Amino acid sequence: MAACGPVLVPSLLTEHAGLRPNARYLSAFLGARLLGYLLFAAVAWEIGALASKLPTPRMPLMGGVDVLLACMLVWYAYSARHICGQACSGSKLVNISTSRDRRGGRAAALGLLTGLSLCPPFVAAGIRAAQLGSVVQAMLFFIFFFVGTSVWFVPFVGLGCIERNQAVITVARMTMALVALYYLSLGVAMLMGKKVYG
Amino acid sequence: MASNACMPRMGNEAPRSAGRALLLTLPILLWSLLMFFHPGGNTGRLWLIADGITAVFMTTLFFMMMRTRRTYRWRRWFFVSVGVLFPIGFIHNVMAMRGTMGIPIEEMIAGRTPFCFMPIPLLILPAAFTRTIVFPGSILPGGGMSGSGIASMVGLWLAITLVIGKGWCSYACFFGGIEEGVAAVPKRPTIRKIDPRWRLGPWAVLLAMVLLSLGLFESAYCMWLCPFKAVSEYVAARNTVGLIQNGIFMLLFAGLVVVLPFLTKKRTQCSFFCPFGAFQSIFNKTSIFEIKIDQTLCKPCVLCQTACPTMSLSKESIARGETLMSCMKCGACVDVCPRKAAVWHIKGTEVPGEPERARLMFLYAAWAMAVMFGGSIIAGGIATILHFIA
Amino acid sequence: MKLRAKLGYTAAGLTVIAAMLTPFLLMGLFTNGVAAMGLHVDEMYSGGPKVRTIQNGAYSIDIHRPVFPRMLQSEKPFVQMDWKPVSSLPEHVFDLVDVDGDGKPDIRVSFNVPKDPKAPLRVDVEPLNPHYQAMRNAGKERFSRLIVRVDNSILVRVPLANP
Repeated sequence: MAACGPVLVPSLLTEHAGLRPNARYLSAFLGARLLGYLLFAAVAWEIGALASKLPTPRMPLMGGVDVLLACMLVWYAYSARHICGQACSGSKLVNISTSRDRRGGRAAALGLLTGLSLCPPFVAAGIRAAQLGSVVQAMLFFIFFFVGTSVWFVPFVGLGCIERNQAVITVARMTMALVALYYLSLGVAMLMGKKVYG
Repeated sequence: MASNACMPRMGNEAPRSAGRALLLTLPILLWSLLMFFHPGGNTGRLWLIADGITAVFMTTLFFMMMRTRRTYRWRRWFFVSVGVLFPIGFIHNVMAMRGTMGIPIEEMIAGRTPFCFMPIPLLILPAAFTRTIVFPGSILPGGGMSGSGIASMVGLWLAITLVIGKGWCSYACFFGGIEEGVAAVPKRPTIRKIDPRWRLGPWAVLLAMVLLSLGLFESAYCMWLCPFKAVSEYVAARNTVGLIQNGIFMLLFAGLVVVLPFLTKKRTQCSFFCPFGAFQSIFNKTSIFEIKIDQTLCKPCVLCQTACPTMSLSKESIARGETLMSCMKCGACVDVCPRKAAVWHIKGTEVPGEPERARLMFLYAAWAMAVMFGGSIIAGGIATILHFIA
Repeated sequence: MKLRAKLGYTAAGLTVIAAMLTPFLLMGLFTNGVAAMGLHVDEMYSGGPKVRTIQNGAYSIDIHRPVFPRMLQSEKPFVQMDWKPVSSLPEHVFDLVDVDGDGKPDIRVSFNVPKDPKAPLRVDVEPLNPHYQAMRNAGKERFSRLIVRVDNSILVRVPLANP
C-alpha cells in the first residue's frame, strides 16, 4: 500500500467519482500488479535467484522500471488534461469522456509497473520464492504474497467518495508529475550504476 | 476598545490620533516587555541590547498599524526582518556547533537535527500507523542544535494555529519573509498574468509528499523538495541521490524564493508550492477571524486581487464576498481597497459589521504571537550581528 | 445583537485571551500532550532500544535490539553496538561480541580509536555467525552500515545477512 500509494492515489483521483468506478480501476491495477509479480516469480526461479541477489544486474533493471514508471505517470498526467474540458469550467461535476477500455489499460500499465518496481520487501520475497522447489511453488508463493498485500488496497476504493472537479483533477495531475520526478531521479541514478541510498 | 475608535469607512480615513494610537499600543508594549525582559530570560549585554531593539521595533510597528489604520505595510517590515534574521542566527549557531551547514549522520543518529514546522503534516500518517516519528530529532528537548525538541515545536505550532489559523503564514513562518522581501523590491511585476491553476500546486505537493513520506518512511519534503535548506541546513550528500537532492533545493530556492517573486511580485513559494501552507489552509475553516468583501460596496475593480501576494482572491470568490482558503490574513487587500469593501470580519457577525474592531482583535492576537515567536528570532539575529560587530 | 454575533465576539475574545495564555499555558500543555503520546523517533535513526550490556574491563558494549526496515525504507536490517566511554577505550579495539546473547561470539569487531575526536573512523567486522554481514574498512556509508562517534560513544551498526 505504501509502495503503490504515490502512484495509485493521484491516478484514482483522475477517474470517475463513485465506489464502483474506483473498484473497477483498482481491480485492473491489482490484476496487472499480480501479473507483474507472477512474471517476476518465474524469472527469479528460472535463474536461481541470480538476478535478485546480485546487485549489479538488479540495479539497472530497477532503474529501467522506475524510468518507465515515471514516463507512464507523466503521460498519464498529460493525457488527463482532456478530462476537464469545456464541460468542466466553472461546474462542479466532471464528465470524463475517455472510454472505459483506455482507462482500464492505463490502470493495468501502472499496476504492472508498480508490480515490477522491485521494492525491498518484494525483493526479499523474490529471494524466498527463488529458493523454492519449482516455478509453480514460486508463483503460488507470490499469489499468496499478492493476496496478503492486496487487502491493504481495499480502503483506496473510498477515494471514490471524493467529488471530482477541476481542482481535484488538477491536483491529481500535478501530484502524478511530482511522483514521476521522484521515480525519474532514482531511475536515472540507478541506470548510471550509482549508489542510490545510504 | 471604545466604539468611537472606529472611523467612517467610506473614502480615505484620517489617521487615528497619536494619543489614541498610543493607548491602543500600550498592551503590546507591556507584552513586549514581558516577552523580552522576563526573569530567567536572556542575559548578557548583547542580548539585552538585541531584546531592547526588538521590543522597540515591534511596538513601533504596532503603533504605526494603529495610527495609519493600515496593516500590510507594517506587518511586512516585521515579516521580512524575520526572514532575513532567522538564517543569520541559525546558520551562525550551526557553524559554531559543527562548522558546516551539512548535517552529519552523527547528529541525525544522536537525535540533534533541529525540527522545523514544515514536516508536521508529513509525519502524521507514519505516526498514526506506527507511533513513529520519521525525523532524526528528539521528541523532548535534546540539547545541542535540537533546541526545544519535536514536541515543543509541535506544541508551539498547535498553540499559534489555534489562535490565528493560517495567519501563521503571515505572522509566524520564519521563511516566508525572504520572498516577501524580494517581491517588494521591484515597483511593477514583469510577469502579470499567472495561470490560477498554479494555486493548486501546494495541495499537489502536500499529497505527493504525504504519500511518499508514508512509503519511504522518511520526511520526503525535507529530503527532496525544501527550498529553505539553502538558508538553514541540509543533509550532507553521501552519494548521487544526495547530490541530486541538494541540487533540487538550490534550484527551488533560486526559482521560487528569489527569481519568481522578483518577476511577479507574489509570494510564489507560498502560493504555488508550500505543502505546509496547504495544510494550514484547513485551519482557516476553524479560525474565527477572516476577510470578507462587502458586496454593497464592491465595484468590483479587482485591485484587491492584484494586491494579494498569494492570489487568494478570484473573480468568483469576490462575487461570493470572500477570500479563498489560502488567505493568509496579511491585510493587503483591505489596505488597498478604495471603497473599503474588503474588511476584517469575525465569523457570525454581519458583513461589514465592525471591521475595525475585528481588525484590532485579530491584530492583538496575531501580534502577541508575532512578538513571542518572530520577535525572539529577530532578537537572536540582532544578537548574532552584534556579536560580530562587538 | 444576534446570538451568532455574540458567539462570534465571544470566540474572538477567547482567541485573544488564548494568545495571551500561549507562552504561559497553552504551549506547555500541547508540548506535554505530544510528549505523552508515546511516540518515538524512527529506530533507523535512533538505533533501537538497548537490550544488553557487556562489560569489558574499563569500557562496556551496549547491544541494541535489531532494527528492521519499514515500508519502502531501503536500508538493510542491522544491529547497533555502542562502545563507551571513548576515554576508556584502548588505541585499538579488537573484540569478540556475543550479539544475540547465546553465549557464543557472533562477530569479531576491530577498529582504531584516534585521539582526534573529529578523525574519521573505520571498522572491520568478521562474522562468526552467518546472520551478520562482513564489513571491510567501513566508514559511515549508510544508516545500516557504519561506525561513528557520538558524544562519548563509538557506535557500530552491522547489517544482518538473512533477516
